[in-house]
Amino acid sequence: MWTREVDGQRLTFHLAGINNQNFIMRDEETGTYWQQISGLAISGPLKGRQLTLVPSDELTVAIWKSEQPQGTVLNDVPKYVSEYAKRDWDVRMQRTSTVIQFAEHGMKARDLMLGIQAFGASRAFLFDRVLKEKLVKDHVGAEPVLLVAGEDNQSVRVFRDRIPGVDSAPDFYRLTPPKPGALLMDAATGSEWNFQGCAVSGKEQGVCLERVQALKDYWFDWRNYNPTTTVWGK
Amino acid sequence: MFGLILLACLALSLVCVVYPMYVIRPFRAQGARELAAALVVSRYRGMATVISALVALATLAGYWRMQPRKWRRILAAVGASLVCVFAVLARINVYELMFHPIGHASFAGAAKSKLDGGEKVIAVVINGQARAYPIRGMAYHHIVNDEVGKRAIVATY
Repeated sequence: MWTREVDGQRLTFHLAGINNQNFIMRDEETGTYWQQISGLAISGPLKGRQLTLVPSDELTVAIWKSEQPQGTVLNDVPKYVSEYAKRDWDVRMQRTSTVIQFAEHGMKARDLMLGIQAFGASRAFLFDRVLKEKLVKDHVGAEPVLLVAGEDNQSVRVFRDRIPGVDSAPDFYRLTPPKPGALLMDAATGSEWNFQGCAVSGKEQGVCLERVQALKDYWFDWRNYNPTTTVWGK
Repeated sequence: MFGLILLACLALSLVCVVYPMYVIRPFRAQGARELAAALVVSRYRGMATVISALVALATLAGYWRMQPRKWRRILAAVGASLVCVFAVLARINVYELMFHPIGHASFAGAAKSKLDGGEKVIAVVINGQARAYPIRGMAYHHIVNDEVGKRAIVATY
């Protein structure tokens, strides 16, 4: 997700090709070509310019609706609905070949990862393993991070593993069973936290953890654009 | 000489249309240099193929005036027509033929949405405005030019 204003000019993007299975877009205003995953202009008058990333989440509708009841959702276009991805598209995609592999760290090209590029480093987490663990405490560069699976066991968010204004390590753990509207508790302050990373009760009520942007991507694509990436658990 | 010019126009227009399509296609690895070359060709082929078509038509006109034999005239006409066809093809975005752009995006309120709870969306919140893009549709359209929270964004998948 990118902003589409460069130097005060609003750009309109079109699908324009593919580059090692990541697509290329072209803006109709200048004819510049941009790489989708990096937001970088790779050919044309604006070559070298970088679009600004818009933070986003990949969530189930159930979680999104509960968090954003006033939100709006894009409608299907009836003319093309029959061509949309099928419900099991991610399973089918697993069987599709790739043109680049990067068989490093024992990874397979279509291993689904959660990639984080932050704090001067890149790190990738096997998505299914994060879901299985439900709560992962790790580091990206020197920064401690927290990966939290939602109640739907499909959505994952990443936060900085530190409570603003609290010096000691939070020591988060999952509430079992979870309470309505609260997933985690931290041992440092005894506050309860929801999936948006905000404390809903306790000493830190109203405080929110800093979100860290993460990208759900196949290993081959993540590795292609993050050549120095490390891999959790490897 | 007319024949050579026509052939040159045909060759140029053919390369302009075919080379980017050959390089930039799915299930083929793209090297950095060939991709850069293919994108340069893509950027200029609209103009190049139009100029080539004009030259081809002018050449055809000049050749016809010399009143050559019938079969040569037909061959020349076919050649010039092909150059014109390439000028049209060069303007076609095959990727948007495969994956139609969304055109005028429309949105429904969260409460009114009939989407199943297990469907996945890409969600953004900008200046207090929340918007979600269902992944199954985004995997087809790939791009939605939008404005959320008074910010112009492009949703991509």
